[in-house]
Amino acid sequence: MSDAKYFTTTKKGEIFELKSELNSDKKEKRREAVKKVIASMTVGKDVSALFPDVINCMQTDNLELKKLVYLYLINYAKTQPDLAILAVNTFVKDCDDPNPLIRALAVRTMGCIRVDKITEYLCDPLRKCLKDEDPYVRKTAAVCVAKLYDINPTLAEDQGFLDALKDLLSDSNPMVVANAVAALGEINETSPHPIIDMNTVMVNKLLTALNECTEWGQVFILDCVANYSPTDEREAQGICERVSPRLAHANAAVVLSAVKVLMKLMEMLPSDSDFVVALSKKLAPPLVTLLSAEPEIQYVALRNINLIVQKKPDILQHEMKVFFVKYNDPIYVKLEKLDIMIRLASPANIAQVLAELKEYATEVDIDFVRKAVRAIGRCAIKVEQSAERCVSTLLDLIQTKVNYVVQEAIVVIKDIFRKYPNKYESIISTLCENLDTLDEPDAKASMIWIIGEYAERIENANELLESFLEGFADENTQVQLQLLTGIVKLFLKRPTDTQELVQKVLTLATQESDNPDLRDRGYIYWRLLSTDPVIAKQVVLAEKPLISEETDCLEPTLLDELCCHIGTLASVYHKPPTAFIEGRTAVTRKSLPARVPSLNGGSPSFDASTPGQRQQTVIPNQDSLIGDLLSLDFGSPSGPQSSYAMGSMPPPMTTAGQDLLGADLDSLIGGGSSDLSGHSAGGSGGYGGGGYGGGGGLADLVGFGGSSSGGPSLAAGNTGLLGDIFGIAPVSAYSVPKQVWLNPGQGKGLEVQGSFSRKNRQVTMELTLTNRALQGMSDFDVRLNKNSFGLTPASPLNVRSPLPPNQSTEASLPLNITADIAKQNPLTNLQVALKNNIGVHYFACLIPMHVLFVEDGLMEKGVFLATWKDISSDNEKQFDIHTSLTDADAISNKLQANNIFTVTKLATDGRQLMYLSVKMTIGIWILCELKLNAIASGHTLALKSRVPDIYLGIVEAFQGILLA
Amino acid sequence: MGGVISYFKGFFGQKEIRILILGLDGAGKTTVLYRMQVGEVVTTIPTIGFNVETVTYKNNLKFQCWDLGGQASIRPYWRCYYANTDAIIYVVDSADQERMGISKQELVNMLDEDELRSAIVVVLCNKQDLPAALSVSEIHKALGLDALKNRTFQIFKVSALKGDGLDQVMEWLSNAIQATK
Repeated sequence: MSDAKYFTTTKKGEIFELKSELNSDKKEKRREAVKKVIASMTVGKDVSALFPDVINCMQTDNLELKKLVYLYLINYAKTQPDLAILAVNTFVKDCDDPNPLIRALAVRTMGCIRVDKITEYLCDPLRKCLKDEDPYVRKTAAVCVAKLYDINPTLAEDQGFLDALKDLLSDSNPMVVANAVAALGEINETSPHPIIDMNTVMVNKLLTALNECTEWGQVFILDCVANYSPTDEREAQGICERVSPRLAHANAAVVLSAVKVLMKLMEMLPSDSDFVVALSKKLAPPLVTLLSAEPEIQYVALRNINLIVQKKPDILQHEMKVFFVKYNDPIYVKLEKLDIMIRLASPANIAQVLAELKEYATEVDIDFVRKAVRAIGRCAIKVEQSAERCVSTLLDLIQTKVNYVVQEAIVVIKDIFRKYPNKYESIISTLCENLDTLDEPDAKASMIWIIGEYAERIENANELLESFLEGFADENTQVQLQLLTGIVKLFLKRPTDTQELVQKVLTLATQESDNPDLRDRGYIYWRLLSTDPVIAKQVVLAEKPLISEETDCLEPTLLDELCCHIGTLASVYHKPPTAFIEGRTAVTRKSLPARVPSLNGGSPSFDASTPGQRQQTVIPNQDSLIGDLLSLDFGSPSGPQSSYAMGSMPPPMTTAGQDLLGADLDSLIGGGSSDLSGHSAGGSGGYGGGGYGGGGGLADLVGFGGSSSGGPSLAAGNTGLLGDIFGIAPVSAYSVPKQVWLNPGQGKGLEVQGSFSRKNRQVTMELTLTNRALQGMSDFDVRLNKNSFGLTPASPLNVRSPLPPNQSTEASLPLNITADIAKQNPLTNLQVALKNNIGVHYFACLIPMHVLFVEDGLMEKGVFLATWKDISSDNEKQFDIHTSLTDADAISNKLQANNIFTVTKLATDGRQLMYLSVKMTIGIWILCELKLNAIASGHTLALKSRVPDIYLGIVEAFQGILLA
Repeated sequence: MGGVISYFKGFFGQKEIRILILGLDGAGKTTVLYRMQVGEVVTTIPTIGFNVETVTYKNNLKFQCWDLGGQASIRPYWRCYYANTDAIIYVVDSADQERMGISKQELVNMLDEDELRSAIVVVLCNKQDLPAALSVSEIHKALGLDALKNRTFQIFKVSALKGDGLDQVMEWLSNAIQATK
């Protein structure tokens, strides 16, 4: 016989024995056999071959046997999808069984069998069970609908199960309601369109059921209510009142869900109302109680509290003590508590907190100690009154000479120096004593920063930095960058004896390093130093904006989203569900409800500038190179800038960020230079010809700021920023970056970006034409509609033709001012028709007024005085101008480059007065008085002209020029 | 003597007799089953899968009746039930002349199975109450039952709806089964 015999079906063995037992005619024996099968199944043996035999035992009066067979089915139906159909009739019969337990069991098992082939047969029994007289069956059927929806959404919808489920929301039995809510919630999360349309009636029903159902049912109902946005304040208040008793529940999940609902609804109510204040007080005790549970629950509670404290610090402000670390807390609880302690620290409790933190810093667990030390630093930054005490505590800790404590302390002291400059420098000598023990990059970088920053007060700063330089190549990038910056600072402060050192570090950075960031920074310093040490000094040693304690806070929109997920995994991870749930197609992002508009105090313009303002106080991240690049932050005068950008450039594509960066850097670079226009032209050439040509991204560097418009500059990272540094600095006249005037959707594939500038005493329209279509474009021509300033093309549009697909071309179109004048609204509006072989495209743009200022706009003193008197004082208007420039000469130069001429300057009672004159192409003279404010960055501009209509444009121009 | 033995057999609880009720969909298998079990007509829906009921006859014979779904998609799984079968009740819809051929084919295929070699076969010409119903002899011919050899076999005309003829079936079946023991 051949070996094939081994493969023929055996008539022996376990499976065969079980098979014959299952087919036995003795009920007792069959039951035993099924038990054996289930036992084999649970230990992992494959008993799927017995499928039909087990199924045959399904029709029995014995509940125990039935349950076992159902269990088997759930396990193996997927492996035997064809045979699973044999079970259908039994399910149908069981759903008619007089025993509700069997009916429920059947409908539950049906939902668990995820076999497509038999799903449709299950609809009828399911429908019957949804209307069953027994609540237990109905509740089980409700959950089954969610399962069915998961297997086959269209079937579930077509068969009307979703409506049946919604009907169950009004069920008389709270358990049924809770399960229906849970099922709908589940379906809602996967469904591409919202399933539940919550309304007042439904919420009321849910809240009625809330009090009577089981704890987990309450969680489902609360989660559902949390998704509802009440129509008005009174309804929100009503819901709050009905939900708040749940805060006293023993189940932590119920408490957190209730907190979630209340947090969300409180957003809708006026925050100073008595009701909200009382509610906030009610929130604290249940949260505190959660901290007496097991450590695991404590951790979950703490993570949620962390969110709550960030959103509403006042809720727990008096509960500091419960967050004090206990010696036997697990480390994860300790770290979390520490975090919350810092968030809650305030002048009122800082003494207590500091005493605690000092205690923690002497514990044994390294991670915890480090965090405690960091916490002390953060307290110093957060609570100004305590800074001194914090610093002395840190000094005490440094004296312990425990390596990791010292290193951590140095890192936080660096931040303290940033926050309170020139206050605690006396401790530098103590820090320097510990130089040799530093081995972590963070600590080293911080120490180097300190030495560089205070180089003039540290006698042997050069020796210290030189000692770091020895191992330059082996250092971490962060340390290398700091070292480079530090030594440059040292050189600028003490140029005499450190020339050699700076040469060395620049050589190391630019020639010996593979790291592009390091090289770039090296080159920038090198060029800065070789171009003009005065400017270099202004750039490198620029005053740094203050920092505040906000680094570890979550980004507000994320925080709001997470607050909507309190009591879920998302609130423990501090990540939105989309970040870690895969396979869910339609996860809708939740957000807190907007406050009722009448309560919103901010004006639209204020809102627009807030994103910019937010940036300015954040501690720059250690590895954010841009932030450290020139030891300055982008944002210092950002608020007004961004609002300027938005106000003056109507197309929404404007990226405020770009203007922000460009403008700010430029004002720093150009700020103090008295001969800006003189050096700019030559400088531009010098930069352009520099060794940069090769670098891919660096091509941007030598371009003009305007050419890189439209791109999201923050995202563009280093190169974008560098582009702006080099791009804008050398340009003498201010130019608005190019805007998208015509997007390819409207232009049949033609994209037009453009801006205006003044070249050769002429207004010039700078265009970038990009062909986004699939075919070449040719025959370009341009016409301007009648406009307020009589602008018309001086020459035909001269562009490359044809323009191949996906290419762009630059065109510069000089404009004459000879055409008819027709006043537009707004005044600076310009309608353009651009023709190509495809068609004529119309678009509108705004002319920045400064390009219309003519070169012979300097008025004689006498004439100025006479004219000033002559013009009625009704025509005089005052405006505020925001700029970081305070030096009259600098301002004068800057303005002059843009044809705003200084007639004379005066100084009266400590304030500088500048009188300026401007002449526009259409012959209008504008007389200006600029009052400089020495301290603040806002100056007052008074304008006088016979045509007051143009003031707005003039102010925009001033603002733009002075910020650029 | 035989009577005494059967008496004792009944006394000790006889082994259940395994019967399969087969046939095309809509032939009336489920109705036949419940007519035999509870003596009533129940409303039925197409059986996707099976029904199993124990039918007691004259207090001493227990039939374990398996009523299997007759839809084409389920027919392949009939074979799962063939083992240890004592008798087959093959139900034919007498009025369904069109599908008589398919019915014959299914019957022939089934009787070819090894496991059913010794099974008793009863063919029920159901729905005799309908006017379009074929007669017993016509169905006998249409199913080609002449070819049946070496098989205990009988054909009956019944109406499960009215309850006509089912008693004779049970009577014959119990006798035939006891005869084979």
